[in-house]
Amino acid sequence: MNSVDASEHYDLGTTDLAPSLLTIVFDTNPHAWAALNQSLPLSNAVANLLVFINAHLACNYANEVAVVASHSQKAAWLYPSQHDTPSTTTADRDGDVAMNGSTPAQTNKYRPFRIVEEQVTKNLKDLMDSTSSDDLRGNTSTMLAGALTLALSHINRRTIAWAEEHGGADLEDAAAEGGGGSGGPTSGAGRHSAANEDERLQSRILIVSVSGSGDSAHQYIPVMNGIFACQRLQIPIDVCKISGDAVFLQQACDATKGVYMALSEPRGLLQYLMMAFLPDQRSRRHLVLPTRVDVDFRAACFCHRRVVDVGYVCSICLSIFCEPPPNNECLTCGTILDIGDYGAKPALIPRKKKKKKRVNGTSAAGTPMSTPTPGP
Amino acid sequence: MAASTSRPLEYLEGLPGTTFYKLYQQPSTALAIFRRMLPDLAKCFVMALLYLKDPLPTADLELWVQSESKKQRDNAISILARLHILSKTRTGDNVLAYMVTNPFASSLRQALVGSEDSQSFGVFSQIPGESQVSVADLDDYARQQWEGVMGYMVGTSAFSGQRELNLSKGVKQLLQAGHLVEIRDRRVDITKDGFGFVLQDVNTQVWHILILYVESAEAIGMDSVEVLSFLFLLSSLELGQSYEKKHLTSNQLRTLADLADFGIVYQDTPEATRFYPTRLATTLTSDSSALNNPITGSLTGPAGESGGSGSGFIIVETNYRLYAYTSSPLQISLISLFTNLKYRFPNLVTGKITRQSVRRAIEIGITAEQIISYLHSHAHPQLRKHNAGHATSNAGGIPPSVLPPTVTDQIRLWQLERDRLRATAGFLFKDFTSLAEYQAPCQYAAEIGVLVWKSDKKRMFFVTRHEQVAAFLRSRNQQ
Repeated sequence: MNSVDASEHYDLGTTDLAPSLLTIVFDTNPHAWAALNQSLPLSNAVANLLVFINAHLACNYANEVAVVASHSQKAAWLYPSQHDTPSTTTADRDGDVAMNGSTPAQTNKYRPFRIVEEQVTKNLKDLMDSTSSDDLRGNTSTMLAGALTLALSHINRRTIAWAEEHGGADLEDAAAEGGGGSGGPTSGAGRHSAANEDERLQSRILIVSVSGSGDSAHQYIPVMNGIFACQRLQIPIDVCKISGDAVFLQQACDATKGVYMALSEPRGLLQYLMMAFLPDQRSRRHLVLPTRVDVDFRAACFCHRRVVDVGYVCSICLSIFCEPPPNNECLTCGTILDIGDYGAKPALIPRKKKKKKRVNGTSAAGTPMSTPTPGP
Repeated sequence: MAASTSRPLEYLEGLPGTTFYKLYQQPSTALAIFRRMLPDLAKCFVMALLYLKDPLPTADLELWVQSESKKQRDNAISILARLHILSKTRTGDNVLAYMVTNPFASSLRQALVGSEDSQSFGVFSQIPGESQVSVADLDDYARQQWEGVMGYMVGTSAFSGQRELNLSKGVKQLLQAGHLVEIRDRRVDITKDGFGFVLQDVNTQVWHILILYVESAEAIGMDSVEVLSFLFLLSSLELGQSYEKKHLTSNQLRTLADLADFGIVYQDTPEATRFYPTRLATTLTSDSSALNNPITGSLTGPAGESGGSGSGFIIVETNYRLYAYTSSPLQISLISLFTNLKYRFPNLVTGKITRQSVRRAIEIGITAEQIISYLHSHAHPQLRKHNAGHATSNAGGIPPSVLPPTVTDQIRLWQLERDRLRATAGFLFKDFTSLAEYQAPCQYAAEIGVLVWKSDKKRMFFVTRHEQVAAFLRSRNQQ
């Protein structure tokens, strides 16, 4: 009669579960926000985001949050502050000490909420003040790769610190085995990581993105590396796309099993955040989440950072090129590639067609053939 | 164990709806209840609904949850309904829909946004020049007081001497009123409930005491709502900060003085103008795991060498031998409740868990689960590390256990030898006219997790609580 034991049923949710760390990468690209000013001014977006952060902190006493701004020319921490006076270095997450003197006895707000709010607004203001018009003139993109890397390093640091505090399993082992086991869930390593999953600090990344994809193409490689690191560490990347449509972020969500949402109505940002992005990994197991079916898998070429549909791939290192590299030499690994008479255009086009046909052909012919194989 | 969450929950559920209405006026209460009492999924529901203008149709909510997790969904909704947080309404076109009820929704929104001047989260004391009490001192104070209470219950104060100090009459009365101790000709005897109590982890113990306090508050002429919301306020204060007392009502001041006896708050003198919450107060609304380390460590560990990461001190081996690195008379007497102690060294006692010793414990009312949870929450870091690292052996969903499984299983088996009957208070549903009429509510009861027993042949089933099943039956009859 175990299944009807009520007492067991009730304490499923709240006992002894690891808290979660939410790292928000906030795209503060001034160009994009200026374009959005009609529907969602930056100040409103920040206010909404702060309520969302509070909601996250409210969910669990030990929940943590970190905010990174991905600005036009650099990535910067909004919370926790990294450039504090040396006296606060020990309390790096709270930053309590610095706040004590200046804060008046404002009491209608839960203190942790207020600390986050004050730091985020202050740092954001500093960041905006330090941006000169020269910085903006030639530069319309956002430092997504840098911000993602900062977020990842913070997550890594907190995860290790948390595991040490709580005497959990050796984290590096678990992470490494978890990554290795992702291919075959039945292997021993995969099971090990599954058993420990609830005991680790639950980290996830939320990217609030406003810039278009064309701008970030030049960061293709570092961004993809960040995505792969997340995939390996089993950190979901959620993307809340307010405007534009970034190609790589769709892939990021797809690869890390995160939530991708392009907002059709930017003014409802808070509701989108609360509904789709607040549930942590544990709750997500029970929820039907908005996912994207038609993921844009296009890549950017390594030579000109163009997003390409069809390109050339180095057979040794798998680098992608939009056109054959100069001297037939791969730009990444230096291998001399034998492309044949690629220069002859008429020869190329029939080859492409032929390739397409063959793909179609195999899939059409393959269906009847492949049916017996899955049997055993 | 179940006790850690369900005890405050059960108490709150028993309150009438009007009490909730009053309680939820305070943002701090709404936040504390949201954080402490709700399962993950319920939190998601509340947050998703909080900023929605219109109620969310039930069908939409059902779609949002995966079909395999129906049980969790129903459980979450049932808890929300019992705490009067979620209510069912009908939208304009007569569709059943959920919405977050009002004092709670507005208070929680206020807690998140912090708009109005409610002083719901305490007022900092701003007296310049006076030295602040450090966090370490507060922890010390909390530990001393709390150990004093425990020591009084277990009766170690007789031989440890200095602990007797300042247990007020109110504390003793409260323990007696809660049937944790009995006083027979000036001698303190711990009761069965008391044994269960002392073996729980600190967070559960504090809640237990606080609920006893709230229950007894009515008897001495205090409004239980006021006391409760003050407790929730305390839980949202900041450790190491002092707070003004002049904004508190007289009842709250009285509560404050009583709580100081337990070490939940600290004040220099009863007349001081400010008070400090200790860690016991500020971790009230956290999960037990969150406070596991700092306070439990310093509370239970050997007093001299606390701090660092040493939260536990007990090592249990697969051969039932137990080593406890402690010199605290309280801990030693607790361990001796279910262990045959063999040797005692200045910083270590060793013993063996035997059938006889466990049966002895069970006879005085301690359950196997209590023993195991005590051992678990005080396990030595070495034990934790070792077993977490070798978790591969017990695969397939079972979380790796810190204690050797043979020992925990055997303790449970020893209990089963004695324990063959168990009483559950509840309600029997019977006399269904058709099988179909019986099956639907029975299945519903199983889904919301209240079903205890059923018999298809006799068309009867037994549940722990009947309100929702009755509502379910009514709604079926209407159709």
